[in-house]
Amino acid sequence: MAMGDEILRVENLHVSVDETPILNGMSLTINRGEIHVIMGRNGAGKSTLASVIMGHPAYEITEGSIQYMGTNIEEMSVFERARAGMFLSFQYPAVIPGVQVGTFLKKSVQSVRDEPVKGREFRKELNAAMQTLEMQKSVLSRYVNDGFSGGEKKRLEILQMLLLKPTLALLDETDSGLDIDALRIVAKGINSVAPEAGCLIITHYQRLLDHVQPHFVHVMIDGAIVESGGPELALKLEEQGYDWLEAPKEA
Amino acid sequence: MKYADMAVPSRALHLWRYTPWARIHPSNVEEVPEANGVRFKVVEGGELVDGAPRIVDTSDIGRVFLSELGGAAMTFQSSEGHDVVHLQAIASGHVAVGHLHLSLNHDVAVILHLSGEADWCGLHITGEVAANVRGAFGFVNELASNGKLLHCEDWSIARDATLELGGLSIGGFRCKSDIRSRFQGSGAALTQAISAHGTQQRHIDHHIEIHHDVPHTDSSLNIHAACDDQCHAIGTGLLTIAKGANHCDAGQVFKNLLLSEKARAESIPELEVLADEVAAAHGAASAPVNPDQLHYLMSRGLDEETAVALLIEGFMHDGFSTLENQALVDEMRTRLTVHLECELKR
Repeated sequence: MAMGDEILRVENLHVSVDETPILNGMSLTINRGEIHVIMGRNGAGKSTLASVIMGHPAYEITEGSIQYMGTNIEEMSVFERARAGMFLSFQYPAVIPGVQVGTFLKKSVQSVRDEPVKGREFRKELNAAMQTLEMQKSVLSRYVNDGFSGGEKKRLEILQMLLLKPTLALLDETDSGLDIDALRIVAKGINSVAPEAGCLIITHYQRLLDHVQPHFVHVMIDGAIVESGGPELALKLEEQGYDWLEAPKEA
Repeated sequence: MKYADMAVPSRALHLWRYTPWARIHPSNVEEVPEANGVRFKVVEGGELVDGAPRIVDTSDIGRVFLSELGGAAMTFQSSEGHDVVHLQAIASGHVAVGHLHLSLNHDVAVILHLSGEADWCGLHITGEVAANVRGAFGFVNELASNGKLLHCEDWSIARDATLELGGLSIGGFRCKSDIRSRFQGSGAALTQAISAHGTQQRHIDHHIEIHHDVPHTDSSLNIHAACDDQCHAIGTGLLTIAKGANHCDAGQVFKNLLLSEKARAESIPELEVLADEVAAAHGAASAPVNPDQLHYLMSRGLDEETAVALLIEGFMHDGFSTLENQALVDEMRTRLTVHLECELKR
């Protein structure tokens, strides 16, 4: 594991959407090889954090900064971030009727690697990734997320992550709606990417952490981290909930 | 009735509201100009023979006009051993006209590619699907970008037959298609799917009539139009279920993807249901590119232009998703992909 190099630094980040503040002074640093987990109640701003790091145009950064590999990325568009090695596994991946999964994966890999993908090599790589995730080949001719179950959507997200080999992987509730077997398989995908990347996992449940060992667990309330610890913090939250943590008071 | 005796149809009529007769006529509405014959040829499978039965709906000005223009007339008759047939129609000169009759007596997919540089092309396609036959017909309009097209189709579907109609409209400057299907026997089914792509000032008008005159017949119609620049796409549908034609199941869906602020689309599905025990549904939707889909694709490294192009292609491919004849679907999608690759690179 090559731990150490800084991948992501979020400093005092304030973010609004339609002039409603969502993130209020969020700070976080992720180094290569580290797995960070963010937990928190619904509406705490967890998904907003992932979306804003990925460059969703609906969010406005009003204060603070996001640095990726030492560069401020505020001006980078979402596709430039993806090409720079950032990946977001969406909580609710978009359904794209008419676009076959195989076509989409090839275009995506070509775009991120910025070079033509050779058919035979790509197929080999794709087959290996699909085997890891125990996916049927028939999925390649289906339309992207069209008619997919919740578990199939999440597996497709992880398949993309394996193929795109990100430097920073943001996983937004990738474990929600998964049965026990699917959870194990998705965790296998995360674990295969994690050693060479920085990972930020957003989750509500401790159960994913039975399969993915985090280095840090953070609790987010009202758009900021209020508590950080090791894996034991997730166990404590599972037992005691969030009431023992107070929201940060305004100065 | 002769063309000279017919009145120019009123724009109050659904059929002529968006593309009035004067705008699709090759010259002056009082004139029946000299016409070249459209050149039909077999590219793969089957055989064409000279002549075609004239089946003229004397109440429709378009069909009467095409009949009086004359031009080429050919008949295709299906035969054993030809599952997929590719035909070509080439329109050249100032005015080119053709009538193609298709007699489908075996399970077959016939695909007709229309191309050429004619200023005006008139095409009348008539077809019969025999009892118990699974027929498919695909029409690919690849006329030169400055041509006008008047295209009429009349289909008759016999008992327990199925017909799949695919349409890909990617050519011509001003195109009016009037496609009518009629069930002649119970147990029959029609699946119709059309995708159209318009750029610049292209005007694409599809009028689709499906008549359920007998009970236990099913139909579905899907029209997808992607409109860019100042394109204007029109889809009007008329679905009729006659009195006593119970247990019919019919649906029409019109979807429009608006790619610029000046692009326009009108979709008017219309139902006339006189039977009691039927299922009939219709829907229409027009929308710009879905921002969530766009963001998703861009988050996978596709720049905006590539992402939008993929969404257009997907939207139009999806227009054919109700068709089951693989040869028909593959041809429609291949032609579409080639067209979009050329069009979107310009």
